[in-house]
Amino acid sequence: MAQHNLRTVIDFEFRRVVTKRRFWVAALAAPLAIALLFAVIFLSNQTTDQTSQAQKNAQLSFTYTDASGLVTDAVAAEFGGTKASNAAQAILDVKAGAVQAYFAFPQNPTTQPVHVYGADSGVFGNGKYSAVARQILVTGAQQKIGSPTLSAVAQGNIAITEEIYKDGRLSSGLNGVIPPLLFLVIFYLSIIMLGNQMLNSTLEEKENRVTEMILTTMNPTTLIVGKVVSLFLVGLVQMSAFAVPVVVGYVFVRQNLNLPNLDLSHLSLDPQAMIVGFLLLVGGFLLFTGTLVAIGAVVPTVKEAGAFFAPMVIMIFIPFYVVSLIVSDPHAVIVEVMTYFPYTAPVTAMLRNGLGTLSLLESSIVLVELFGLGFLALRVAVRLFRYGSISYSSKLSLRTALHRTGSDRG
Amino acid sequence: MAEPLVHITNFRMDFGDKTVVCDLSFDVNAGETFGFLGSNGSGKTTTLRALLGIYRPTGGVLHIDGKVFEPRDGARLGYLPEERGLYKKEPVLEVMEYFGRLKGLSRADAVSWSRTYLDRVGLADKAATRLDKLSGGQQQKIQLGVTIMNTPELLILDEPTQGFDPVNRRLLMDLIDEQKRDGATVIMVTHQMDEVERLCDRVILLKDGVAAAYGTVEEVQDTFGATTIRVDCSREVPASELYDVVSPDSNSVILAPRPGADAAEILRGLVTSGVGVRSFTTERTSLEEIFIRVYGEQHELAGV
Repeated sequence: MAQHNLRTVIDFEFRRVVTKRRFWVAALAAPLAIALLFAVIFLSNQTTDQTSQAQKNAQLSFTYTDASGLVTDAVAAEFGGTKASNAAQAILDVKAGAVQAYFAFPQNPTTQPVHVYGADSGVFGNGKYSAVARQILVTGAQQKIGSPTLSAVAQGNIAITEEIYKDGRLSSGLNGVIPPLLFLVIFYLSIIMLGNQMLNSTLEEKENRVTEMILTTMNPTTLIVGKVVSLFLVGLVQMSAFAVPVVVGYVFVRQNLNLPNLDLSHLSLDPQAMIVGFLLLVGGFLLFTGTLVAIGAVVPTVKEAGAFFAPMVIMIFIPFYVVSLIVSDPHAVIVEVMTYFPYTAPVTAMLRNGLGTLSLLESSIVLVELFGLGFLALRVAVRLFRYGSISYSSKLSLRTALHRTGSDRG
Repeated sequence: MAEPLVHITNFRMDFGDKTVVCDLSFDVNAGETFGFLGSNGSGKTTTLRALLGIYRPTGGVLHIDGKVFEPRDGARLGYLPEERGLYKKEPVLEVMEYFGRLKGLSRADAVSWSRTYLDRVGLADKAATRLDKLSGGQQQKIQLGVTIMNTPELLILDEPTQGFDPVNRRLLMDLIDEQKRDGATVIMVTHQMDEVERLCDRVILLKDGVAAAYGTVEEVQDTFGATTIRVDCSREVPASELYDVVSPDSNSVILAPRPGADAAEILRGLVTSGVGVRSFTTERTSLEEIFIRVYGEQHELAGV
């Protein structure tokens, strides 16, 4: 019966959230904005590339003088240029419209500017003069070097692989840090996106006066657990809605979006770090959920509940104020305090776990603490729901609720 | 004799320093309709909440079917609380389906039952409507529907007619009658004494958390309201040590028998006195009069 009711609660709570239009509006607002941004970047980059290519390869009717010795007649001719014998006359020809442009290449183009004189082709069209002048100089320099390899090296187009050793073993470096830190990202997204729903989850029964019907129909633990599970499922849907456009954008149009080309094949998955990271995520989620649900059971209205949400969110951001200390000196007193203080522990421990500075013993202590307090918070939440929800319009006295010990159903 | 379905012994409930119910004991037998009466604040709802495990009693035993109530037992219980409410932002059918499933029905059965019920109470076209878009009376009907889903064995109704117009009150009473016919035991908290007299087999009157009367309706009437006698006669009724004349009239007189006086003895006296008795009827005091008598003094003191 309890399992049947648990499934029923999860089904009801999940369905009634994801079938609401406002849920999808809220869930898709951010990804749609991102998709729109991607689209604008894509179109912008595409247009810029096309324009740039067109300008670089544009055939102009121009004259030039070269004091650097880098520009050969052949290269200039490729772009439609002829050498000018007199700079002043060349400028006059541009002004008269006899030629489109005149480029004066200085002796040292790295310290002196290339002077470009051109006939007006519109705000965007005028860019082609500088582009062609630059491309002529680059092509001339490459020909001077005489080797494509040297040219590529000179431009910094080189590949490097690293092998860093730690304690005599090959360290995975950043590739080993990224995977366990993904749990931290998921934790943040969960709390920020679901925190308010956690806080308000039992308030609805209270505000709608449904509590008595519920308490005589099922065990309050079933209700609370069902709500937590459905919240988690709703969170997964929200995160998917958020992640899908990002992944699609990265996989299919990365080049056009100028996104950094991360080679995910080199990511290193350290089993211990991944398991600890996952358990820290679950333990942290449990503790925050239990606490937020308990707060929701005590206060009478959504408005009053809101006042408690900000401090909870601040708790998960506090470790970031000392992140440089967490990286540089993970055993500093303040970092140790944050590692073990329940509400800063998930973030601090996940950071240290990702950076490889959380020992197995330390992670075990933090995990025991998070799971222990998480289950305790849920027990308290169930008790407060039983006694808090029936105090429909008034704030529950914690002392009264917690004093009622004995054979509670929850 | 069969064990009572509901058994309450020496129930006491304190909230802080305040005692709300004190040493309350009563039974409700299977299949009977039981009236739970009392003025506002007399401890009725508190007793029901303690019986259903919502409150933890300070003392005493509260059993349903021989044990402390646990919802996980899957007992078929229908409870209409005083504080009404359902998930207001959700469509009617989804809410009914949810509670139906929680009461052990399959999804299909819950939906089927709900549609039949909605049709019966004239709300078939509201199945997909959010509850907060319904009128108060319509919401009450939905709440009642949720209460009687899955044919409850024990139906506890805390002021069921509250908020109902006379037409819907009749509908409600018909539904309760049906549940009774189907074998449900009904505990009903109400201030509608005519309903109690019509529906209830036994009642308890609670005053300041203490049972002021308990028994069948007739027993309570006998305990509190002395039986009155209406006499139609052709001459003025003479004074007697057997009765007081409550309402003197030339033709119809109401007599209040004095303690120990017997109706037959009074009739003999009247016939002997030659007043010309045309009719002689004994009448019990109504529950409403008893209620007013029991609580009137309290209300007067409270300035109500």
